[in-house]
Amino acid sequence: MKSAGVTSIATAVTSVAVPDAGAQIGPAVLGPGDVPVALTVNGKRVDLKIEPRVTLLDALRTRADLTGNKRVCDRGTCGACTMIVDGRTVYACSTLAIEAQGKEIRTVEGLSSGNALHRVQQAFCDVDALMCGFCTPGFVVATVAVLEKHPNATREQISKGLDGNICRCGTFVRIMEAALKAQGVARG
Amino acid sequence: MADEQVVRDRDVLQRSGAPAPAGKYAWPEKPALLSTPIKRLDGPDKVTGRARYTYDINRPGMIYGKVVRSPYPHARVVSVDLAAAQRAPGVKAALVYREPGTQVMYQGDPVAAVAADTEERARDAARLVRVRYEPLPHLANVEQAMAADAPQVFPNGNVRAGARDETGDLAAGFANAAHTVDQTYSTHVITHVCLETHGCVCEWDGEKLTAWISTQAVIQSAQQFAQALGIPQSNVHCITQYMGGGFGSKFGPDAQGIICAKLAKQANAPVKLMLDRKEEHLDTGNRPSATAHIRAGVSSDGTLTAFEADSWGTGGAGAASGFPLPYIYNFPNRKRIHKDVYINAGLQRAMRAPGHPQGCFLTEILMDELADHVQMDPVAFRLRNLPPAGPNAMWAQYFRDGATRFGWDKRHATGDPAPGPIKTGMGVSAHRWGGAGRGSHAHVDILSDGSAVVKCGTQDIGTGTRTIVAIVAAETFGLPISGVKVEIGDSTLPFSGGSGGSTTAASVTPAIRVACTDALDALFAKVAPTLGVQPADLVADGGRIHVKSNASKGVSWKDACKLLGTEPIEVDGQWQDGLSGAGTSGVQFAEASVDIETGIVRVTRILAMQDCGLIVDKLTAESQAYGGVIAAINFALFEDRILDRVTGQMVNPNMEWYLLAGMSDVPTIDIVLNNMPERGVIGIGEPPTVSTASAIANAVRNATGATIRSLPLHPHKVLAAIEQVRAGGTN
Repeated sequence: MKSAGVTSIATAVTSVAVPDAGAQIGPAVLGPGDVPVALTVNGKRVDLKIEPRVTLLDALRTRADLTGNKRVCDRGTCGACTMIVDGRTVYACSTLAIEAQGKEIRTVEGLSSGNALHRVQQAFCDVDALMCGFCTPGFVVATVAVLEKHPNATREQISKGLDGNICRCGTFVRIMEAALKAQGVARG
Repeated sequence: MADEQVVRDRDVLQRSGAPAPAGKYAWPEKPALLSTPIKRLDGPDKVTGRARYTYDINRPGMIYGKVVRSPYPHARVVSVDLAAAQRAPGVKAALVYREPGTQVMYQGDPVAAVAADTEERARDAARLVRVRYEPLPHLANVEQAMAADAPQVFPNGNVRAGARDETGDLAAGFANAAHTVDQTYSTHVITHVCLETHGCVCEWDGEKLTAWISTQAVIQSAQQFAQALGIPQSNVHCITQYMGGGFGSKFGPDAQGIICAKLAKQANAPVKLMLDRKEEHLDTGNRPSATAHIRAGVSSDGTLTAFEADSWGTGGAGAASGFPLPYIYNFPNRKRIHKDVYINAGLQRAMRAPGHPQGCFLTEILMDELADHVQMDPVAFRLRNLPPAGPNAMWAQYFRDGATRFGWDKRHATGDPAPGPIKTGMGVSAHRWGGAGRGSHAHVDILSDGSAVVKCGTQDIGTGTRTIVAIVAAETFGLPISGVKVEIGDSTLPFSGGSGGSTTAASVTPAIRVACTDALDALFAKVAPTLGVQPADLVADGGRIHVKSNASKGVSWKDACKLLGTEPIEVDGQWQDGLSGAGTSGVQFAEASVDIETGIVRVTRILAMQDCGLIVDKLTAESQAYGGVIAAINFALFEDRILDRVTGQMVNPNMEWYLLAGMSDVPTIDIVLNNMPERGVIGIGEPPTVSTASAIANAVRNATGATIRSLPLHPHKVLAAIEQVRAGGTN
C-alpha cells in the first residue's frame, strides 16, 4: 500500500477547528484562507497560494497545470495520482500539498527528458501496456518506483508494487510485460 | 439495444460472412502493415502525461461547476433555494435544474448546480443549496418492485411486458426430454467505472459553444448540445482528443454537460464540470441485472429438446433490461417471456456487449447442468447442440482447437477429487457479437510537400482508433506510419458514428481506404505523364510511386507530391460495403481454484479463441481481447453495485468497496485471434468480454461440485452453495 497522508489530513482538520489559534499548543494554524506553499516538483520550485485543504494532486493539476497524473477515485484507492515523494510512492489525491513542502516530488512529467522517454515509458509503448491511457501515468510512476527499489524485481515484487493501481481497460498483462522488459533494459 | 438489434439484423443478412466485392478498394492481399503489430501512435503522449484529456483542459479564467443531487431514491422537489450558495465566496453562477413540483427518481438525480472560482469553493457552495424534498415510496430492488403489495412508483406500473418469443412445440420438446433442469439463474448490476469520469469544459464565444468533452461520440455530442440548448448545431464545436474510458456510457453531454454549458453562459467564463466518483457510479449508467427462471430438457443422447424461460431484469428508473436468451445453442422448441422491472436507481446504458454477458451466463451454467444429466463432457455436449458453422459461427473449431490448446483432457468430472481445501476446475463457454460497419465519412489531403492528412470525425475510446486510421492510410499510400497525419476527435471533421457496438473499426477503416485510394489515383494521374505511362500502371509502396512491372521506374513520394504545385489533392470518401464484415464468434476456457474453507475463487488461466475479420493492428487488437477478458473477471468475481434495501442508497459508490481486479488478481491469459482477411474488418471491442464470466462459473462448478447460479461469485455464495451440497440438498 502507498502512503495516503492520512495523518496530515487529520492534523489539518483539527487545526482548522481550533477557535483560538493563540492558545494552541503545537504547530501554527494554517488557513482557512490561502497560504503560501512552496513545492519542489521534478527538481523545480513551484510557488502557490492555496487553501491548506488542497491536495497535492489538485495543487499541481489545477494551479500548476501539471495534469499528467490523474484524478480518478480521489480517495487513495486506484493509484492514478501516484507520485514519488522523497523516494516513496504516495497517493497524491490523499496527500495535502502543505505536507509535501520541503520534499522532493516526482510526477510523471519528470520521468522523460525532452523527447527521450524513460525506459519504463518506452516499454509501456513497445508492448502496448495502455489503452485509454487514463491510469497509465500512475502505473508508469508506480513501475518506476518498484524498479528503483528492486532493480531485479521478481514478478511477485512487481505485482505487489502495482497492486495499489487499477486499470479499467484491462491492460495488466501487458503492464507486467512492460515492467519485466524495462527491468531487462536496466540489467543490460 | 436498438443498435445491437441493427447489428444482429445485419448479422443475419450477412450470414454467409463474405463481404460484397470491393473492386479497386479491396484490401491488399500482401499487406505491408495491416495485421502486423504496430505501436499505438499516441503511446508517447499518454505515458508522459502530455496527452490532454478533458479532465486536463485548463482554460484562462476557467471556473468549476458542481451538481447538487438528490440524496433520496424517490422524492418530490418542494423548493430549491440558491440564495446562500450564491452569496458564498467565489461563486459565479447557480441554477435550478429540477423545478419544484417535479420528482427525482433515484439517488443522484440532478437537482441544481453551482460554479465557483475553485473546485473546493464550488463544493462548499453546492452544500449551501437548500433543497426541500418530500420523500416518496421507493423501490430499492427487483423483489420489492415485483411484490404483490408494492407501491406503484412508476406511472405505467413497476413492471412492463418486454420481448416474447416462441418457436416450435414446447410440449413435444419436453415430452422428448429424458432429463429436465428447472432452476433460476441471475446476474447483477455493475457500473461502467470509467476512470475519467463523465464531464466537460464549456466555453462560450458569443453564441458559439466550444465543449471539450469526454465522449465516445464527438459529433453526436455536438448534435445533443445544440438540441438541448436551442442553438444551431453549427454553433457547437466538440473536441475529444483523448478520453479515459466509456464502455458504452459516454454517448452525449448528459445532464452534467448541459448544466456545464448553462453555468458557463451565466458566469460568462469557461466552466469545467467533471463528475466525482460517487456521481459517476450513481448517474452515468450501468449494466442491467438479468434473472431467468428456466426449465430446459435434453434427450438421453444429449440433444437439447426444449427451453422455457420467464426472465426479468432491471435497468433502473424506467430503462429496459433486454438480453438474448437462450444464447447460441439450438433449442428447437422454446418459449421466453421477458419483463422489464423498474426500480429507483440510476438508468442503465449500453455496457460492453449489452445483454450478451447476461444471456451467456444464464444459458451456459444451464448447459453444464444439462451435460451432467446426460453424463457428457461439456465440450462434446456443446458441439452436439451448436447452430450450423459459418464464417461468423466458428464455435465448433474453437471448441476443438481450444480444448487441445488448453489441456481440456486433464479436466476431471464435476467435483475435484483432490484432497485438501483447494479445489481446481475447468469451464468453457461460447459467445457471439455483431461488430458490423456503417456509414462513416473521411477526408484526405495530399499536399505538395508530401504531407498526407487523414481526417475523420471518429474518436479514440482507447481501442487505438487513431492508430488504425494511420495504418490504413499508410498501407494505401505505401508510406511508413510516420508519413501520415491523423485528425480525429473533433465534431467539425467528416461525419462518423459513435464508438459503440464494436462498429468503429468496421465503419472507419473502409471510409479511410476509399478516400485514400481515390486520392492516390489523383496523384497517379499527375505522375503517370512524367513517366510516360498510364495511371493504371502505377503502384505506391516503400515510399515510392513506380511502374508495377518495373520498380526502378518511378519517383519518391515526395517528388511525386511536388508535381501538385499549389493545388493539393483533396478527396472525400465514405464507408461502402465490401471492406467490412459482420458477426464474430468466440469460445473461452477458464481454469479456477477455489478455497472451499474461505469461498475465495482465483482464476488461474483463461484461453480466448476469437475471430475478428481482417485484423488491422495485431498489437491493439490483442489488447482489446485481454481487456475484455479482464473486465469479465471483474464481472464474475468482484464488482457489484450494492443498493441498501431500506434506503435505496448505493453503499459502495467509490473504488474501495466497489471492487475491481488489481495486478495480483489477473491470471495467465492466452489470446488466439483468428485473422480472416476475406471477411473484411470487424470490431472486436466487445465480444471477448462476453463469455469469460460463464467459463469461470463453470470452472468453479467443476472444482467444487456446487453450482452457483448467480453472479458475482462472492465467497459467501460459494460457501453457501458448497454447504448446500454437503447437506445433501438439491444444489
